[in-house]
Amino acid sequence: MSDIPKIHSIKKTDKETLMKWYRLLFLGRTLDEKAPNYLKQAIGWSYHAPAAGHDGIQLAIGQVFDRSKDHLFPYYRDLITNLSAGLTAEEIIYNGISKDTDVAGGGRHMSNHFAKPEWNIHNVSSCTGNHTLHAVGVARAIKTYEAKGVAFSSQGESSVSEGYVYEAINGASKEQLPVVFVFQDNGYGISVPKKDQTANRKVARNFESMKHLRVMYCNGKDVFDSMNTMLEATKWAEENQKPVIVQANCVRIHSHSNSDRHELYRDDNELGYVKEYDPLAKYRRLLLRYERATEEELKAIEEDVAAEVKVAHRKGMAAPHPTPESIHDFVLPEPYVSSKYPDGTHTFDGEPQKLIQGLNETLKAEFRHNPDTYIWGQDIANKDKGGIFNVSKGMQQEFGKKRVFNAPIAEDFIMGTANGMVRFNKNIRVVVEGAEFADYFWPAMEQFVETTHEYWRTKGQFSPNITVRLASGGYIGGGLYHSQTIEGALATFPGVRIVYPSYADDAAGLLRTSMRSEGMTVFLEPKALYNAPKAATPIPDDFEVPFGKARTRREGKDMTIFTYGNTTHMCVEVAEQLAKEGLGEVEVIDLRSIIPLDTEAILASVKKTSKALVVHEDKVFGGFGGEIAAQITTDAFEYLDAPVKRVGSTFTPVGFNRTLEAAVLPNNERIMEAAKELLAY
Amino acid sequence: MEKTGIFYSFRSVKTAQQVKKIMKLLGGDVDTVDVDIATTDDFMKFTNYILAVPTWFDGELPSYWDEFLPSIEDEDLKGKNFALFGGGDQKGYPENFVDGIGLMAEFLEERGGQLVGFTSTEGYTFEESRAQRGEQFVGLALDIENQAALSNERIERWVESLKKEFK
Repeated sequence: MSDIPKIHSIKKTDKETLMKWYRLLFLGRTLDEKAPNYLKQAIGWSYHAPAAGHDGIQLAIGQVFDRSKDHLFPYYRDLITNLSAGLTAEEIIYNGISKDTDVAGGGRHMSNHFAKPEWNIHNVSSCTGNHTLHAVGVARAIKTYEAKGVAFSSQGESSVSEGYVYEAINGASKEQLPVVFVFQDNGYGISVPKKDQTANRKVARNFESMKHLRVMYCNGKDVFDSMNTMLEATKWAEENQKPVIVQANCVRIHSHSNSDRHELYRDDNELGYVKEYDPLAKYRRLLLRYERATEEELKAIEEDVAAEVKVAHRKGMAAPHPTPESIHDFVLPEPYVSSKYPDGTHTFDGEPQKLIQGLNETLKAEFRHNPDTYIWGQDIANKDKGGIFNVSKGMQQEFGKKRVFNAPIAEDFIMGTANGMVRFNKNIRVVVEGAEFADYFWPAMEQFVETTHEYWRTKGQFSPNITVRLASGGYIGGGLYHSQTIEGALATFPGVRIVYPSYADDAAGLLRTSMRSEGMTVFLEPKALYNAPKAATPIPDDFEVPFGKARTRREGKDMTIFTYGNTTHMCVEVAEQLAKEGLGEVEVIDLRSIIPLDTEAILASVKKTSKALVVHEDKVFGGFGGEIAAQITTDAFEYLDAPVKRVGSTFTPVGFNRTLEAAVLPNNERIMEAAKELLAY
Repeated sequence: MEKTGIFYSFRSVKTAQQVKKIMKLLGGDVDTVDVDIATTDDFMKFTNYILAVPTWFDGELPSYWDEFLPSIEDEDLKGKNFALFGGGDQKGYPENFVDGIGLMAEFLEERGGQLVGFTSTEGYTFEESRAQRGEQFVGLALDIENQAALSNERIERWVESLKKEFK
């Protein structure tokens, strides 16, 4: 016997509700059927994943969602979910034909990705199931702040094949979070049948042994079964502060999307029976059979809906397109502006502190400054241990386990739940140790890329306020997996700031700015310098370094070296040596931020010295230095007296044997050699 | 034996053929009723029932049964005997083999109905079934996808048992 209370049924549910549902279902189907016409007429809606066959569960998700307290993460097939949650027909059409008035994000995201961030109906990725981690993250905030509500993660059953969906559900189970995961099971991931996804036909079964997790099954084609199940799931998750999976059996009446042709892989029998299952037709028959509505009443609703859609269509067609010049809006939010240290320099003359100390004390100071600040990562807090390098030492003791805590060894989970948690409240700032070492950040790349899209894709409605700390670089004999410096790869994604300090004061100042700013900042820490005396400096307690402000480490007139991170110290040493040898006065510019890049300082220095050497630890081939060199040759070519040269790693991994490491990474000798060549040019 | 009502969807093809065989073997006073249009009164007038309940998709009742059941959800089914049969696919859906029979059985028992016509699970290969109780199904499982050749014999044996169990 089912343990789900039968609150709704064709006989018990009041007529007003039944008619409201019919209206929503019919409106959903009308829009769903109208969508392909826009493509046929070359108006838009070029991506359309039909909702037909999922009607029952989608109506139910939208009906139980309460925007005053819940968070909803719908997926690309959730047209009826969105309507049921309150979006209007015109809002659906604005999204479908990508108009500037689209409430999801002004036509920036693909069509059929309906959302309304202002109502906590989040604008999600097209990567299937990617938002599962965001739902878990925001549920962590709901629990932390002892708020009401739950997070809904709605997705197709095939999305569960993604490893990050496992990470999300495992995390919700471990942390006991109020998330309702809804798997809308139509039997296919595009053309791939369930049997090619996982061994269990009902994929929710794969999770049944997880602790604190309730798994429920329902008929997603049936309005009443779906409503009763979703009501119970939501109530249970909120009351027990634990996660639920609802697996809803649906059918896909049409192809996966307009780029799919399901007749290529489904036979006539199957195509026939999925139509037989049509949830809307079933609901209509029930209303008539049990005399809850008359044919005339239903026809009146259908006529009203047709008229409403006509009006919505006209509004959609008349609505403005986004303008081409708007593409540069909302790439990154405005950063925190330092009034005390506008150039990110100081004259404080105190006791030098090591780089690691500067980071630790700035983290603590910012945690005291903003009570809505959190940090998590692998190894971040276990008794006296605070991070693999002890950067977060003492933080859990001072700020407690709710604000400072370990994450599972799941880098994507670390990033994805940060993206989710910050959605709860704009004051929240999350710092994550993205991985034990930058080398292990790659599993988090799908969430990293996603997070770079958020601000732009939502047209500024959601800013992921996250600082991603990564212990980076080599020179420690770490080999392939403890030596990588990954800024070159990360810098290709618009929507993130990347900073790479070389000295303790800049590390402290940039960290403070990152933690006070909106948007995501990748904070690369040259781990070889954590305890290096040469990186130690006096640090004013309130020091701040603005993004995109380079710092001149040594003045010069004969050549400029542009650098950041570990190699800054080498460049300064080389410059001093060259001066001693009387070979030239070399200017050393420590870029500190690579995104945003202080192009102004770069060009000004090139104009002064006429020779440019770019030095970084990353590989020369494909490294960020290529971008700097290109900008110099484009914008300061007339001022150059020599080709721009670059020094960096060889185009190989970093070998573990010290001899190999030394052969790969740049050093003083190589920089000196390049500098001399350039000076002599 | 009192009058028997056989309920199934007249739109069905495979089930309709099975009903034909059952009627021929059962003989006596039998009425057929189309579930698609059946009313409460149509249902309540019998003592002995044969319900054709194929399993759809991943273990669901066909829509026509789903749509009919609210008609009798408030009725007292005490004193009535129900024999259930239906098709399933033990290879394609081994986790939900003839679940429809199980779902219907639960519905009827919750309202006092008496189930008859249990059959052995021997000879079937599946993983789970809501229709299974111990080593028996709470009705007759037919699998024309994989064991079509066994259906006639299974129906014959089942009908013989019903003749003894029906009042």
